[in-house]
Parts: sequence; structure tokens; C-alpha cells
Amino acid sequence: MAKFSTKKRRDVAIPQASTSDIAFLLLLFFMVTTVFVQEKKFWVERDRWPHAESIERIPRNHTSTIYVMRDETILLDDIPTRIESSEDVFISQTLIRKKAEDPELIVCFRTDRDTKYGVMSDIMRQLQDANTLVVAFETQPLLK
Amino acid sequence: MAAIPTASTGDIAFLLIIFFMSTTKFDVKEGIKLVLPQAAEVESGKTQTLTLTEKEMTRIQILPDGQIALNREAPRYIESSELDVIIQQKVQINPDMIFKVITDRETKYSEMIRVVDRLKAAKIEKISLSTS
Repeated sequence: MAKFSTKKRRDVAIPQASTSDIAFLLLLFFMVTTVFVQEKKFWVERDRWPHAESIERIPRNHTSTIYVMRDETILLDDIPTRIESSEDVFISQTLIRKKAEDPELIVCFRTDRDTKYGVMSDIMRQLQDANTLVVAFETQPLLK
Repeated sequence: MAAIPTASTGDIAFLLIIFFMSTTKFDVKEGIKLVLPQAAEVESGKTQTLTLTEKEMTRIQILPDGQIALNREAPRYIESSELDVIIQQKVQINPDMIFKVITDRETKYSEMIRVVDRLKAAKIEKISLSTS
């Protein structure tokens, strides 16, 4: 009777010794990149923004955000302010300084959708005074 | 010899990764971008007064109750879909049509965004914002 020589099976094993190293590298990446959004006292929640369809992405690195609350309180650089007369120029002064630091500055508005337009108009006038002319109105996608 | 068991380090690390992956929220900024005109220098005499006809400019006036008045028409509630049709008609008359959005100080901000959004959706570049 003929004998068949059986080939010995090779042991194939994926080295697993470095899995935990890889996992820790990924862990470090996520720990470093995670930004915990701090709850501010004045805050316009995302679901209070207006809805819009034709939205575009805004590069984050050149932006400065202005929050406008329904009660017309304005928050810039974590400092609450109001525009009640033509002497309230905190916004234009802050933005002149920011514009000098970053000439490509984009001002983003996070405004409550029920805010009256008058305060937005006042802010935009101050933006024009500070020569920061690129603005973005942050919106949430339109509900279908 | 006493040794700390290290066999489960990988599991612990993966658990932590899953935690950070699920809690990480990338704060993406999305919205409607506009470029404001430069502040008018009244004293320097650099400003020009232009008189534009209805063929060149469409006035969209938004009243405090959300009603919209187009040019000299009577104010009425206009749905977004109807607004799209109106904008298309205006662009057909003049492809370089300027749209002047006049929002009352008492009007809700969302109403202004709705109109500007429809203009942006129609790829209109010449949008002017003003207040009454």
C-alpha cells in the first residue's frame, strides 16, 4: 500500500504581543484630541439655532464665535455684554484686536432663532466698524 | 516571584478607547457664510448714491409678524417653496439681480435666515442685508 506523505501544517499566528501597545496609542490619540465642551452660563443650544438648507462648512481655525441670546445678551470671548447705545463698543474693540491677530477672521453667530433681528443688525454694524466682514450664521440642517 | 498579571491590559485599553470614541464629539461649524460690505465712509465722500430699478434690485422686506413684502407688493406669508419660484423668476429677468433683504428690528432672526437660505440655495451672490 502506497504511503502518502502528508505535509506538515505550518503554524500561522498573528503576533498579538503589540495589540495593547496599539490600543494605548489609539487611546492616547483620542485622549489628546477630545475637547470637552464646557457648559457656559450663557449658552445657545444647537437645537435653538435656525434651520437652513444651503449650509457650508466653516474652517474652525479662523473663527470667533458670538453667542446671541433671546434676551439680547451677547457673549464674546466668554464675556457677556449688551448693546444699548452707540457707546457700547465692546464688540468692535474686541474684534479689532482679534482681526489684527488673524486677518482671515470669520465671525460665527450662534444666535437663538427667536432673537429679534435688531440686535443682530447692531452687532453687524460693529463688525463693519472693526472691518471684520466675513460672517457665518450657524444653522442646523433643515428637518425633512 | 510575584508579578502583576498583564494579560488583560489590551482589553482595558480597548475599553477605554471605546469610551473615548463614543464620547468624542467633533465640533464642526456649519452655516450660511456672507461677506458684509465695508462700513460707509460718509465724511470722506467716497460713497456713491445709486438709483436701482426693480429690474436691477429686488426688495424683500420681512415684517415683524413674518410676512414678506416683495418690491411694492402687499405683504403676505410666503412659503419657502414659493419663495424659490419667485427668486427663479427674478433671476430669469436679470441674472445679476441684487436682492435686498430688509428685516425689521422686531422680526425674528430665523425669518431672515429662512430668506437668506433660499437666496443662497438659488446660488445668489448679490445679497444685501439691511434693517428698517
